[in-house]
Amino acid sequence: MSEVPWVEKYRPKSLEEYVGNNEAVDHLIKWVKNWGPDRSKKAALLYGPPGVGKTTIALIVAKMFNYDLVEMNASDWRTAEKISRVAGRAAEQGTLYGQSRRIILIDEVDGLSDEDVGGLMALLEVIRKSRNPVILVANDIWQPRFSNLREICELIEFKRLTSRDIVKHLKRICSMEGLEADDDALKVIAEKAEGDMRSAVNDLQTASYGRRRITVEDVSWLATRNRIQPIFDALKLVFYGKTVNGAKSAFEMVDMDPEMFFEWVYENVPAQLNDPEDLSEAFENLALAGLFLAKVKREQNWKLLSYALECMTAGVAVSRRYSKPKWAPFKFPSRIRFLSSFKARRELLNGLAAKIALKTHASRAKVVREYLPYLRAIAVLNPDLFEKMCKKLGLTEEEFNVLGGLKEEAPEKPSKAKYVRRR
Amino acid sequence: MTSYLNGLGAYLMSELWSEKYRPKSLKDMVNQKDIVERLKRFVETKSMPHCLFAGPPGTGKTTAALCLAGDLFGKFLADSFMELNASDERGINVIRDTVKRFARSRSLTDVPFKILVLDEADHLTADAQHALRRTMEKYTDTCRFILSCNYSSRIIEPIQSRCAIFRFTPLPREDTVNFLKRIAKAEGVQLSEDGVDAIAEIAAGDLRRAINLLQAASATGGPVTADVVYRVIGLVHPKKVAELLDISIKGDLISAREELRRLLYIEGYSGSDIVKQIHSQVFKLDIPEPVKLKVIELVGEADFRIDQGADEEVQIMALLAKIKLATLKGG
Repeated sequence: MSEVPWVEKYRPKSLEEYVGNNEAVDHLIKWVKNWGPDRSKKAALLYGPPGVGKTTIALIVAKMFNYDLVEMNASDWRTAEKISRVAGRAAEQGTLYGQSRRIILIDEVDGLSDEDVGGLMALLEVIRKSRNPVILVANDIWQPRFSNLREICELIEFKRLTSRDIVKHLKRICSMEGLEADDDALKVIAEKAEGDMRSAVNDLQTASYGRRRITVEDVSWLATRNRIQPIFDALKLVFYGKTVNGAKSAFEMVDMDPEMFFEWVYENVPAQLNDPEDLSEAFENLALAGLFLAKVKREQNWKLLSYALECMTAGVAVSRRYSKPKWAPFKFPSRIRFLSSFKARRELLNGLAAKIALKTHASRAKVVREYLPYLRAIAVLNPDLFEKMCKKLGLTEEEFNVLGGLKEEAPEKPSKAKYVRRR
Repeated sequence: MTSYLNGLGAYLMSELWSEKYRPKSLKDMVNQKDIVERLKRFVETKSMPHCLFAGPPGTGKTTAALCLAGDLFGKFLADSFMELNASDERGINVIRDTVKRFARSRSLTDVPFKILVLDEADHLTADAQHALRRTMEKYTDTCRFILSCNYSSRIIEPIQSRCAIFRFTPLPREDTVNFLKRIAKAEGVQLSEDGVDAIAEIAAGDLRRAINLLQAASATGGPVTADVVYRVIGLVHPKKVAELLDISIKGDLISAREELRRLLYIEGYSGSDIVKQIHSQVFKLDIPEPVKLKVIELVGEADFRIDQGADEEVQIMALLAKIKLATLKGG
């Protein structure tokens, strides 16, 4: 299942491959062409919904003009100090030292946290001092705190892509992958993506898994996506978010109780992370979250809930350090399916434990712990005696079978992994 | 399995020995001498305070309560004595309602109170315990409570201060051995010296475990020797946990999680049992000695958290992930 994400593999490398937002692209090219250190707008702020090609066009334009690209992620910076150190140096050094010119690309500007006023100030300072073009990328620039930033930047808006544009790109991918796809199927994918190329490409990759040809039926599951969509976006933040703040906000995106959200994260940890150190860290954070959740539930100690949520979101997000990026779908919590497919069996076990509990002045849990293992051993050593003991204990035939391990129900086949959307 | 419904009878061997040989009266109790003496005085004076029985499993807490009630109420036991299990009952409201119904009527005996045993009281949350305290006070004229728990520290102070606290200790080896020999004799089981030693060793002061183990070991039909005991304990605690560790370390955690779920949800093992077995496996792991101790610390942490009520599967998965990392780094 580990495969290069197609979003990366087929990220357009030239204007010919790039689709959509023609106006914005022309605007950007013109701005870069005319850029000079004395320009009033030293930075361009590309803004618009996710997956419409903002970062991609910045990469392409840099290549077109033969700029070196210094790429940074605004949300990687925790402090003003770091911003000016890293970005400042790159921005201020120009042709002075004879290198080729540079474009500074600062992604995820809206990932700067609310509290990080210093970070924003430092960013403004970097732009003012820059001797190189700065391209900023953001989704939402209309927050009040960005008012200064908007003022000193050339604002370039990117819009949602049309289905036609998306289909065009998907077709290119299909031909490179040697994949046959019905036009209708690609149309369904494109429409469901609602202008977001990244999610369309991810959907295509998901649908193509194990197939050489994609039909409308193969993508019919997309129809139900809107209902479960927020959880995937939330999981994306938890597993691939770059910031603690971003990851923390994941829980608020979903309309789900904390325990269910926990199940989703817990389910997907071992598939999304692959380095043992990362895994250990992520599971430990989940275990802590689980401990807090238990305290909330048992003791109604609600003040602990926020710790639980932070451990299960940000705690997991920061665990990713050495894991190689790999493409794996987010899965529905299999524990829930597991528990429900063995429900009948567990109920029988519970029922027989309750019967034995009555006779032994013990709780059901204690019976499971202290008596059942011995009865099972007797079932192996002396089936006749075991049968007599079960009768004496008043167990039904069904209960006798379950306890003796004579009837193992097969679990339901786990249904196929549903769907992935991530960068 | 139609035969299962036929051939009823021939039960003699088929009772659970831990019940069959449970003392019925305080005078039959072989251990916890000091406690028994104090309880006998309650019977003599027909008066007693609320009690808190604290101690590890299999040390006679429930038995002591049953014997006390039996001695006090005799043939009226059924009317005047009730057992509840905190871990089974759904919440404090159920307990409160049950207590209400039970305590409303007076005892038919000349003993001016009834006895309600609340087992595993330390499973109640602090809030539930506070509610329980109020209930205890309300019916204190007609009903005495015996709360039993593994750790008295998990019982809230206000309840502790209203109870006479009895601390049960693990049975001395000699008491366990004598009790086992008595049963073996009565059941016609050949119990060798090394066999009884092995059982006592494994049971570590838990008489219930010792008796269950003896019964399982004698199910083979032959003499109960140390070899038989170890074979049986292998059946009781199968190597599944060793396999689970092996999968985690050599394979991937997704498969380990599937295996763990089988143990927890299909076979019905408790999380703390699995943790205990992981504990016993740690020293067999191929890692440097200091790392082993580090791992023990992790096991202890998992055990503690499960005791605190945390989700067993999640805690064990975290433990397995950490053990995997430790073996990769240290091995």
